[in-house]
Amino acid sequence: MAAKLPFMETNGDEPKYYAVMSDFNTPEDLLRAVRTARTAGYTQLEAFSPFPIHGIDEAMGEGRSPLGWIVILCALAGIALAILLQWWTGAIDYKLVIAGKPLFALEPSVPIIFELGVLVSAFGAVIGMLALNKLPQYWHPFFNYTAHAGASNDRFLLAISATDPKFKTDEVKALLDSLGGRNTELVES
Amino acid sequence: MAQEHPHQSAADNYFLAPGMWATVRNGLAFLALAGWIASIAGFATNREQFHFSYLTAFLFCVSIGLGALFFVLVQHLSGSACSVTVRRLEESIMRTLPFGVVLFGLVVTGIHYTYHWSHESAKTDAVLKQKLAYLNADWFTIRGVIVFGLWTIWALVLFRKSRAQDVDGAIAHTRNLVKWSAPGLLLLFITASVASFDWIMSLDPHWFSTMFGVYFLTGGGLGFIAVLILICLALRNAGYLNNAINEEHYHDLGKWLFCMTAFWGYIAFSQYMLIWYGNLPEEIFWFKNRLVGSWEGMAIFLVFGHFLIPFFALLPRASKRNFKVLTFFAVWLLVMHYADIYWQVMPVLHKNGISPHWLDLATLVALVSTFGLIFWAQLRERPLVPVGDPRLRQSLAFHNA
Repeated sequence: MAAKLPFMETNGDEPKYYAVMSDFNTPEDLLRAVRTARTAGYTQLEAFSPFPIHGIDEAMGEGRSPLGWIVILCALAGIALAILLQWWTGAIDYKLVIAGKPLFALEPSVPIIFELGVLVSAFGAVIGMLALNKLPQYWHPFFNYTAHAGASNDRFLLAISATDPKFKTDEVKALLDSLGGRNTELVES
Repeated sequence: MAQEHPHQSAADNYFLAPGMWATVRNGLAFLALAGWIASIAGFATNREQFHFSYLTAFLFCVSIGLGALFFVLVQHLSGSACSVTVRRLEESIMRTLPFGVVLFGLVVTGIHYTYHWSHESAKTDAVLKQKLAYLNADWFTIRGVIVFGLWTIWALVLFRKSRAQDVDGAIAHTRNLVKWSAPGLLLLFITASVASFDWIMSLDPHWFSTMFGVYFLTGGGLGFIAVLILICLALRNAGYLNNAINEEHYHDLGKWLFCMTAFWGYIAFSQYMLIWYGNLPEEIFWFKNRLVGSWEGMAIFLVFGHFLIPFFALLPRASKRNFKVLTFFAVWLLVMHYADIYWQVMPVLHKNGISPHWLDLATLVALVSTFGLIFWAQLRERPLVPVGDPRLRQSLAFHNA
């Protein structure tokens, strides 16, 4: 056991809990468990699966990701930036007539508008995705669950969060057990 | 075998009711009759206008058939499962191509009216006289027959193998179709380039643009997707294919409509921008001629109507899953596809501005209803989806992530 440094010491409070977790055999079992738990009134759920499961978003009541809006805003910003850049450099800051073309025109500016729009969108998509997923994140209470490794192999995990208004440890444990979950545990945060 | 119960995961009826089929056929036949009578009257009274109007309508219909051929080929090559349920409708549109060679005859009879490289004056034109070895009535006709011949071979082979699979469900057909599709795709781009160079580009025989074939085919692909969406939604309204082509499949068709809109904008703009930037006399006049008077208004209208408005309207997920929005933009983009071809062809005849003529409508009705009849004939007593396709079940269960 690692030595406890002073700043790691707790005040001796009772341990905080993350969730009650359980693991299921199949994606169908997990889907059924999610639906039943939601019907029973639990709202703070988290599912862990080695691969995407069709219908899990609807079952979890997840809305659409706002990532699309982030990307379009980035695209529009990139377009504005590209127009500004070409107009200011070409027609204001360093006027130079090339091949008799206007100092600024929309036609030759479009490739740059397109490229900068795509570039800024791509940054928005990648960075926005990471931010929305709260990444990078080196530690998550999920790792306190003894059977967590199954979530990246062949098990389908469900957590009912301790922050759920309806959360009562025994009731949640009983519910997950009744749905066929194995290794049902109260997980520390 | 997966093909034993093709109907079990969907309650759809895959066969059109004979009465309904006959009603639509009669409607199309009536339109064709009316359209052709009007067109013949125009042929007798105003040959020049007739041939230009006819060429526009002909290009509109053939480009949609080529769009269908393109999508069928791509579908076989990509092995996509999501689009299997619409493939028979695609194939039926593609199946109209073999008949195009007959309708091409009226383009050939109009060579002297539409293509001025056929005039005596071309022999003294410094540029044109060097092109006459290629641009002459005989070779124009032969090239037309060759490209239609190749499209006919592929359309018939792809259609027959797919139909054969309806009966035996053998996976060998799927493999065989892939083998035909690879050279088919290559040939399609070459032949579509040859066709568009001959039929549209040589209207201004001094002009040249190497990407014109892609421009033509992209417009056709967009028009085809729009037609496909409208046919699927019409069948849905008549109570067919409610499960086989559901919201998920329409979402995908909407993505294609969006994608082809974006690609058309990309190609059309690239052609324009390169010529604008080069500003060479032998290239720039094509656009200058199409920016005279009200043609300029039409060009700007195309930028917004064919690209910017549908691009942003079809961008959100919700509009691709909304049948009303999808119907509106499918109709809209079909009109735009016609307007795009009109803008390419008609300035050669009406140099000073847009000059609509009743023959534009008459030839369009005649040709669309004729192609429509050939399409409709494919659906008689045949399943509306490829029931023997091994990927059909996967397609029926398709779900957008």
